[in-house]
Amino acid sequence: MANSDVNVAVRTGTVHALVGENGAGKSTLMKILYGMQRPDEGTISIDGSPTDLTTPADAIAVGIGMVHQHFMLADNLTVLENVVLGDEPRSGGGIDFKAARTKIKDISARYGLGVEPDRLVDELGVGERQRVEILKVLFRGARILILDEPTAVLVPQEVDELFGNLRELKSEGLTILFISHKLDEVLSVADDITVMRRGTTVASVSPGEVTARQLAELMVGSALPVPELRESTVTETPVLEVEGLTVTSPDGRAVLDAMSFTIHAGEVLGIAGVEGNGQAELVEALMGIRPLQSGRIMLQDKDITKLSTRKRRDAGVGYVPEDRHRQGVLLEATLWENRILGHQTRAPSARGLLLNRAGARADTERIVEEYDVRTPSIDVAAASLSGGNQQKLIVGREMSGDPVLLIASHPTRGVDVGAQAAIWEQIRKARAEHLAVLLISADLDELIGMSDSLAVILRGKLVASYDPTAVTPEELGSAMTGAGDGGPHD
Amino acid sequence: MTASGLAVGVQDTVAPSRRRRSPMIYFALAVAALVVVSLVRVLTGAGNLTSSGTVAAALTAAVPIALAGLAGLWSERAGVINIGLEGMMVLGTFGAGLFGYQYGPWVGIVAGVALGAVGGLIHAVATVTFGVDHIISGVAITLAAPGLTLFLAKLYFTDAPGGGQKQSPPIEDVPHVSIPGLSTLLGDIEQLQWFFVSDLAGLLRGLTTDVSLLTVVALVLFVATAYALWRTAFGLRLRSCGEAPFAAESLGVNVYKYKYAAITMSGALAGLGGAILAVASSQFRDGQTGGRGYIGLASMIFGNWRPGGVAAGAGLFGYTDAMQLRGEGAVHALLLLLGIALLVLAVVQLRGKRYAVASVATVIGVLFIVWFALSDQVPPELVSAAPYVVTLLVLSLAAQRLRVPKWIGRTYRRGEGG
Repeated sequence: MANSDVNVAVRTGTVHALVGENGAGKSTLMKILYGMQRPDEGTISIDGSPTDLTTPADAIAVGIGMVHQHFMLADNLTVLENVVLGDEPRSGGGIDFKAARTKIKDISARYGLGVEPDRLVDELGVGERQRVEILKVLFRGARILILDEPTAVLVPQEVDELFGNLRELKSEGLTILFISHKLDEVLSVADDITVMRRGTTVASVSPGEVTARQLAELMVGSALPVPELRESTVTETPVLEVEGLTVTSPDGRAVLDAMSFTIHAGEVLGIAGVEGNGQAELVEALMGIRPLQSGRIMLQDKDITKLSTRKRRDAGVGYVPEDRHRQGVLLEATLWENRILGHQTRAPSARGLLLNRAGARADTERIVEEYDVRTPSIDVAAASLSGGNQQKLIVGREMSGDPVLLIASHPTRGVDVGAQAAIWEQIRKARAEHLAVLLISADLDELIGMSDSLAVILRGKLVASYDPTAVTPEELGSAMTGAGDGGPHD
Repeated sequence: MTASGLAVGVQDTVAPSRRRRSPMIYFALAVAALVVVSLVRVLTGAGNLTSSGTVAAALTAAVPIALAGLAGLWSERAGVINIGLEGMMVLGTFGAGLFGYQYGPWVGIVAGVALGAVGGLIHAVATVTFGVDHIISGVAITLAAPGLTLFLAKLYFTDAPGGGQKQSPPIEDVPHVSIPGLSTLLGDIEQLQWFFVSDLAGLLRGLTTDVSLLTVVALVLFVATAYALWRTAFGLRLRSCGEAPFAAESLGVNVYKYKYAAITMSGALAGLGGAILAVASSQFRDGQTGGRGYIGLASMIFGNWRPGGVAAGAGLFGYTDAMQLRGEGAVHALLLLLGIALLVLAVVQLRGKRYAVASVATVIGVLFIVWFALSDQVPPELVSAAPYVVTLLVLSLAAQRLRVPKWIGRTYRRGEGG
C-alpha cells in the first residue's frame, strides 16, 4: 500500500507544501490528485464539492494542473508549440498562431514569467523551461498547480526566481501544492506544511512554528545524523597538488582560472560555491575528462597532467560523480557489472585481457556487505535500487582498489537520511585511512561538518578559504556569491 | 540572493534566433549557383549543363526520390525510422504496373499509393503496436517486397500482351502540360548561348515545358506537407510524437494514432514515388527502384528533416542523374562543377570553424578539379555511379547542424513515461 489515511486540506490562494522522504508516498498522492491513479477509498473535494478524477483530462477540467519534475517538453519545438499542444486554438484548418501568441504573452506578463513564445525550447535554460511548464498549465486554465519537486533541477538563483513566480501566482488567487524534501525552501515559501511518512500524513504545521531540523525529524521519525569529523588526521604528506589549473570553455572564456591547491593525506578539502562556478569543470579536469589550457596536476609527487582518465584511476583516484545516473552507474546493468566499470583493467575484475566474472561478483558481494547496499541480490539491475543504495554501491566501488585520492562530488545529493549517514561514515573512514578527499557539495552543513579545510570557488577561482570549525553557513553563503569579506574578489 | 556580477543564473538577453534564414538568402544562393554553372558551361562548352532538356530530365528523375524523402519525413517526424521506403516504393511500382496497363495510369497511381500504404501499415503494426526494432521491420519490408512483386509479376504479367516475367505490359503516360507561349520564347533565348541569360532561360523552360501532371502532384504534396505538419494542430501533434511522446501523452494526445497516421502516409507517399517511376518509364520492371528509396532517405537526413531540404537533395540527385543520361561529356563537365561546389562548401564550413570537414572538402574538391584538367572523359563505368557519388558527397559535406527528431527509433509504450 502506497498511501493510507492521507488527510490534506489546502486553502485557496496559498502555497501548501507537502514534504516527506523519498518513498514517503508524495508521488502517489500527487498522481491521485492528477487523475493518473485512482484511490481505493476516500474523497477529493475541490471548493467543497467532492470530485471524481479518473484521467488527467478530468483533473485539467476541474482546474488542476501539474508541473512534472522531469520536464514534459519537446526540445525541437518552440515554446508556443509546446504550450498549445493538445489544446490548439484553431482558425480555419490551421493553428491560430496569433491568438496563441497573444494569450501566452498575456499570461506571461500577468504572472511575471518572462516567457517568449517563439524561442526554441532547446535554447532555454532549466529555469526558463520550468516557467514554460507553469505557463502550459495556466494556458489550460488551471487554478490549482501541483509542483513536483520543482527545485530539484534549479540553481539557487533560479529557485529564488521560481519562488517569486509562486508568490505572484498566489497573489492572483491561485492555489499551489508544492512537493519537496528541501526543507529550507519549504520554510521560506510555504504558508502551510503537511508532512508525510510511510504513506500517511503525520503532521500539519505552519512554517512559523518549526525549524528545518524539527521538520526533518518529523519526516524521518527519528533524530538526524550530523555531519562531523572527529580528531584531525591531517598529515604533512601532500597527495594532490594542483598548480595554475586553467580550463577554458569552447567560446574561450576561462571557466577555471589558474587554480592552485594542495590536499594532504588524511585531509578533506571542501569546496563551496554556487553551482556553475567551475566545480564540475574542476572535477572533470582532475579526472582527465576535460582538457586543460595550462597547469599541472601532481598525484603523490607524480605528474599526472598528461595521463588519460583510466591511467589516473589506476594511479589511485576514486571518483564519486555528481550525477550518478549519467556518470556513476549503468542503470540497466547488474550490480556486479557496475562494479567492474572503471576497474575493468584491474584485479579483481580482470585477469589479463579478460574480465574475471567470478572475481568481480565476489568483490561485489563484499561491497554490498561492507557498505550496507540494500539489494535482493547482485544480479539485479542498478535501476531497481534506491538512489541512496546506488550511491553506496558507487562509493564502495570507488573505495576499492586502494585509492589515495577520493573526489566526491555532491555525494549525498538526493539520497535518504540513512544513506547520507552511511556515506559520511565512509568518508570519515577514508580520511582515517589517510586518503586525501576532495569534497564538493551544495549542502553547506555537510561541507562545514565534513571538511578539514574549506575553500570557496567563484567564477573559476578559489577566492577564500575558511577554517570549518569557525565559519557559519551564512558567512560561507555570502562568500559564495562574491559578497563576503573572506578573500579577494572583483 | 543578490549576485554581484555572478556569471550564472538566468540571462535576460535573447539569443539571436538561428532558426530561419530569410528567403532572399536562398534566392541569392540559387542565383549564385546558376552563375557558377553558367561559367562552367561557357568554360567547358558542355551545353547540356543547363539545357532545358537536361532540366526536364532532372525534374523527372528527381520526383520519385523527392517523394521517397517526403515519405521518410512523415514517418521520422513521428519518431519512426522508415528504412522500408525502398520496399514500399517497389510495391508502388508493382501496383502501378498491374493496374496501370489495364485501367490507365491514374488508376495505376492510385493502386501504387494504396499498396505503398499497406506496406506502411505493416511497418506501423510492427513498430508501434508490437515494438519491433524499426530497422529490422524496415529491412524486412525492403527484402520482402521485391520477392513478392517478382512472384506476382510472373503470375500476372507473363502471359499478358507485351508483358514478361519481370516486367508489366506498357502503361500509358499521364498528360503533360506547358505554360503556353513561354516555351517558344524561352527556347529562342536558350539558343542564343548567352552567358547566364540563356542558362536561366533553359532552366525556366525545362521547368515550364512539357511537365508531367504527376510532377505537379508531387509539388502540391510538398506544399501540403509543409502546411499540414507545421501549421495545423494535426501536424504539431504528429511532430510532438517524434520529439517527446510522453509530453504529448501528458497533454492528451493519442500517440499511437498519430504514429499510425504518419507511417501509413509515409507508405502511401513512397508508393506514389514508385508508381510515378513506373508510369514515367512506361512499365513496371523488376529492380526498377534501384536504391532510390535510400537516396530519398539520405536527402531527407541531409535535408534536416524539412521539406525544402528534401526537395533540394532530390533535385541535386535528379540533376546529376540527368547529366549521366546526357552522356560522358556532360559528366566530365560535372567533375569541374563538383570540384567548385566542394571548394565553396569548404569555405562555408571554414567560416563555421569546422576545420576537419573543410579540409576534407578542399582535398576532394581539388582532386576533382585536377581530374577534370588531366582527362578528357570519365570512364563509362563511373558515369552511371555519378549521381550517387555526387549527391552523397555534396549532401554529407554540406550538412551542418542536423537536428534529428529526438525520440526517433525508440519504442513508445503508453503510460510508461515515468
